Amino acid sequence: MEIKILGGGCPNCKRLEKVAREAAADLGIEATFTKVQDFSQIMAYDITSTPALVVDEVVKVSGRVPHKDEVKALLQEG
Amino acid sequence: MNVLLYVINLLQTGLGSLAAYLAAHVLLCLLPAFFIAGALAALIPKEAITRYLGRDAPKWISYPASAVGGFVLAVCSCTIMPLFASIYKKGAGLGPAITFLFVGPAVNILAISFTGVQIGMDIALARIILSIVFGVGIGLLMSVFFRKDDEAHNDETSSSRAFAQGAKVPATTWVFFVLLLGVLIAGTLQVGLLTNSYATFTLPGTWASGFQSWLDSVVPPNAALGIEGVSVHGVLLIGLLIGIGVTAWFGLNTVDEGFNRWTYVALALVALTLVVASFKVVAVDAGLSVGITGKLVAEVVLIGTVWWMAAKFFDPYAVQEWLWEMWRFVKQIIPLLIVGVFVAGMARAIIPATWIRAIAGRNTWWANLVGVLFGVFMYFPTLVEVPIAQTFLSLGMHRGPLLAYLLADPELSLQSILITNSVIGKRKTAVYVALVTLFSTLSGLLFGAWVNGANAWLIAGGTAAAIAAIAVVAAWLNSRSGRRQAAVATGSH
Repeated sequence: MEIKILGGGCPNCKRLEKVAREAAADLGIEATFTKVQDFSQIMAYDITSTPALVVDEVVKVSGRVPHKDEVKALLQEG
Repeated sequence: MNVLLYVINLLQTGLGSLAAYLAAHVLLCLLPAFFIAGALAALIPKEAITRYLGRDAPKWISYPASAVGGFVLAVCSCTIMPLFASIYKKGAGLGPAITFLFVGPAVNILAISFTGVQIGMDIALARIILSIVFGVGIGLLMSVFFRKDDEAHNDETSSSRAFAQGAKVPATTWVFFVLLLGVLIAGTLQVGLLTNSYATFTLPGTWASGFQSWLDSVVPPNAALGIEGVSVHGVLLIGLLIGIGVTAWFGLNTVDEGFNRWTYVALALVALTLVVASFKVVAVDAGLSVGITGKLVAEVVLIGTVWWMAAKFFDPYAVQEWLWEMWRFVKQIIPLLIVGVFVAGMARAIIPATWIRAIAGRNTWWANLVGVLFGVFMYFPTLVEVPIAQTFLSLGMHRGPLLAYLLADPELSLQSILITNSVIGKRKTAVYVALVTLFSTLSGLLFGAWVNGANAWLIAGGTAAAIAAIAVVAAWLNSRSGRRQAAVATGSH
């Protein structure tokens, strides 16, 4: 599973990464985490605002930091 | 001249300014404003607004929605840029994106309420109204200037679904916002009903007037420079603020993960500070005269209701996010603000008033332009433009150029220009900067004329005429390029 966090380094982006890592660890999922901070790379995805959570190149969440339980559900649906 | 005395005088001026900024009426403004900013960031889903900014949205929806979006969504500069880029590239196009870019920093809730309380509601209101009017104007103008480019990239991005999702803001959230706004307004509105004391009692203690005299000697009030001095009430509030700072550090830093003991203590201290700030406290010979004001009653009721609503109607995680965003803004803004206020205060004693009066004392084109250029080239952190503006005001700057400065300062910084350039390119950025400069100068000039007592209809007429003239020029340019395009297409020149 490839998990990407899109965001330019603002506090919410760091929070999303932390929550995503914890969720993956809780579920025992092996995933590579990539932080995409370059603006033009971020805008290549179909989102309106950061931070955003991308799982296997599918945008799952954008513009907010979901609760860990919600992230777990998103990771489990694949 | 004795250097030591000079330095001490400088420090006293700086401290005096800082203390004045921590006085009751500022706290009653800034504390609620930060909570409102946090609520805007955490409780309003961006989709609720971006659904009106899609490619197919008609102009009479997308422009107002961009302006509203600028107010609601752009509390943090880190949100403005990605949203601006998306609206431009995947949404309604250059015009609404520019309107959003302009309105966002200009009507920041923190800046507006702070401006209103410190400098005056006239400037705060002018800031809001003129930013929105000219924000839409600049957006429309740019979309006309660059229509060819806009249409070209519209075709490129037609497959985006970024703006298709919608979201609604539940009624409880609306009510909650009204309550939070109520806390802000009840504390700051200068209306007899709220500011009058309905009952007064005196806390005995002869130490009070002695303490006040000592405070006046350490941080002397200086009416000529506009420094109010520190009151006993002020010292008490500063103590409470420090308490909030310390407990919030432990209680709010990780509130997104959960509440702890310190969270409750910090929140209780915030409520207490707002309540204490609402009393009218004066040091008298017998002790402390304490007045129960209308705003005290209002604040107690409103804060209690906010607390109850947060506990009963909102998801715990939503409340945690609200507090986390609020605290995040505090950490980002307050330290720099304190330094900025202190330095701006010292500047009052250093900069000769004659300079300021000579350059910007009257409402001329030149004075307004200087105000704008100063705002553009001097970078100050968020909210610091307010104490800087107040220093200028006390040194004799006219309110017109002052507004021009306040409009231009948050708009254009080197960083924002660079990022804007990376999104829309050099030509468009240059035009944008030119338009912001022009309209900020114009706004200052018009506001200054109104302050000087010019007939309001004359001013409205002048504004309308200016806008009409620009629209005519833009339409002419547009038709010229359209004719040229058609000529090229048919192969004739």
